[in-house]
Amino acid sequence: MTEFQQAAAAIYLAAGISALLGLALPAPRLTSISVWGVGLGALVHGAAFATLHTLDPVPQLSDLPYAISFMAWIGVCSLLILMWRLRLASLTAAVGPLAFLAVFLPSLGFQTAGGAGLMPSEGAVSHAHVLLSSAGLGLLGIAGLSGVFYLLEHRRLKQKILGGRRMNLPSLEALDRVNVSSLIVGLPLLTLGLITGSVWVHATTGAYWSGSPHAIWTLVGWGIYTGMFLARFVGGQGARQAAASAVGGFVFLLFAVVGVEILR
Amino acid sequence: MKILLLGMSHRSAPVEVREHYAADDSSTESALQMLTRHSEIGEVVLISTCNRVEVVVTTENPNEAAARLMSFFREELAGGVSAPGGGSLEDYVYQYADQEAVGHVFRVASSIDSMVVGEPQILGQMKDAYRSSVEIGSCGPILSRLFQKAFATAKRVKNETRIAQRPVSVARVAVDLARQIFEELSDKKALMIGAGEMIEAALFALQREGLEGLRVANRTRARAEELAERFGASAHGLEDLDEVLKDSDIVLSCIGGTGYVLDTARISKALAARRNHSIFLIDIGVPRNIDPAINELDSAYLYDIDNLQEIAFSNEEERRRESAGAEEIVLEEQERLAGWMVSLRAVPTIRHLRARAEAVRQAELRRVMSKLDLRDGQAERVEALTRSIVNKILHRPLARLGAHKDRDEGLAVVEEARALFGLDDPEAPGAEIDAEMTDEKSVPESIDNSEGDEDDGSE
Repeated sequence: MTEFQQAAAAIYLAAGISALLGLALPAPRLTSISVWGVGLGALVHGAAFATLHTLDPVPQLSDLPYAISFMAWIGVCSLLILMWRLRLASLTAAVGPLAFLAVFLPSLGFQTAGGAGLMPSEGAVSHAHVLLSSAGLGLLGIAGLSGVFYLLEHRRLKQKILGGRRMNLPSLEALDRVNVSSLIVGLPLLTLGLITGSVWVHATTGAYWSGSPHAIWTLVGWGIYTGMFLARFVGGQGARQAAASAVGGFVFLLFAVVGVEILR
Repeated sequence: MKILLLGMSHRSAPVEVREHYAADDSSTESALQMLTRHSEIGEVVLISTCNRVEVVVTTENPNEAAARLMSFFREELAGGVSAPGGGSLEDYVYQYADQEAVGHVFRVASSIDSMVVGEPQILGQMKDAYRSSVEIGSCGPILSRLFQKAFATAKRVKNETRIAQRPVSVARVAVDLARQIFEELSDKKALMIGAGEMIEAALFALQREGLEGLRVANRTRARAEELAERFGASAHGLEDLDEVLKDSDIVLSCIGGTGYVLDTARISKALAARRNHSIFLIDIGVPRNIDPAINELDSAYLYDIDNLQEIAFSNEEERRRESAGAEEIVLEEQERLAGWMVSLRAVPTIRHLRARAEAVRQAELRRVMSKLDLRDGQAERVEALTRSIVNKILHRPLARLGAHKDRDEGLAVVEEARALFGLDDPEAPGAEIDAEMTDEKSVPESIDNSEGDEDDGSE
């Protein structure tokens, strides 16, 4: 792990702790500080990617640790953009620790069985596949995260556990907008990631379909998200079901893309 | 100079007594002017709200001032008529002096002493009372300082505690709940079912939140139209409900009659039409107007009057818990003001001591000079020598008088110095200068300079 990555991980962790304290006490000032912390962490994290080429040997983005780290970075950046318009500060209580784990855990040495992804990763197509898929996963991860918060807030509002000292969670509408925006942008990115993956497989093996567990599980995950997309925008699915689907969909996709790789 | 406060509030007197002694805006000016005409009263601020009537004054004679204020309550505020219920005025009035008075003013401004802890109106009412006194000229440097500090303390309490964070009125609780469901209220549409006073109050509250899409539906369309016109809303009969429900985000119902106006089937239909966008329903009608089973629908959030009151009560409890932290801030600020109050006593003492010493020096110098035959320049040297001796002797006592960190210690030092140097003894050497200093004692020069930059400038 480079010094930039170490710094980013530390900042994300500090921001996450600040946000958690802000929620638990509750202390809105700590939550505000955590937003700035996550913003700073994203800057340092971005600097870590920008300086990767200075390392010797230059690491491949298609290496799982870097792909996960990139996924987290995209998730954090997209959340920061959404925060510009929506009151989402308390989401940093989850984003901070998750981003920390995404940067820190891979540095402990867990790798894919091959050590460097599925196939030889030279060339633009492999990088495009990893970048697009990771970006898509990052956004769908944010959708899943907002889904968790939506379900918590929905439960609280339904059960009327609201008086006295309570956590300041984002409004249901804000969380639903995060879910919708992330799905609208994340699904096309994931789709492009699948297409470039197919092209990459073709360039390596001569066939567009590898039939590997990774490919099968990812395709099923993509199918689930496409179904969710249609249910929401064509079938008029409600926000609560959409939130629950976003949580389930992301857990499945994370297993399909990352879990299968680790278990191989 | 002492600070004295006499008053009655919701804690000491029932509403019929409070309203008996309340001062309206028109009588405040004459009341203040009348009070300042009495020699035992220095500065005056009169606070009169629906929950309290309080007079804060500065005085050299607290006992006489207290008697004067009791008479003011009895004769001026009540017009000589006894309090209702047969109780005497003394039963309802409380009295605080100096630090207790300061603490009380701070607590009132910070809304710790309010009936609804944390309510914001009292601060505005105190600012109005203070402003009136300044305009009339009954508020001088001491009460000005006290009230500025009270406003700054209230600001600290608001910023550093959660005393005012959670709403405690049913209307504010409903708006707060709406904010937990919707990100922005200004672009939402609200439907009011009914046309009574509660609906009118709700329309007012929602309009204040920036909601423009307001609708009023009532059995009697004419009454709905009358109310809608006043708030720029659209009017509907109950037969239009299905149509207006389709794009209403907030529904508040308070209408008479038996049976539910809104049932599950109706809301399900509306939710389907609005593609399951969330709908917030508030039922403040008794008997209830909205079927409670609606809360089982995923995108419908239903609260009745009991739910809202329960939240309001719970929030009020939370505010009361927070008032412990607010008390700490009040004590802290009280201590800081106390330091300044000591300077009010210390500065005249310092000036008095200097003047006495100078009077003695000059008298002794005159006496000796007349017996000595001094050459040119020698008289000036002797003059300089005596001045230097006096300055050196006074240096430590004056420095000690000026360095008061603690209020009690500061006051003790001042009293000790006055006794040691006989400043209150008209027979003591140099006492002939006292007559010239009378005016200076009452208006310490340090008032305008001390700690002025610490205020928040709220007034």
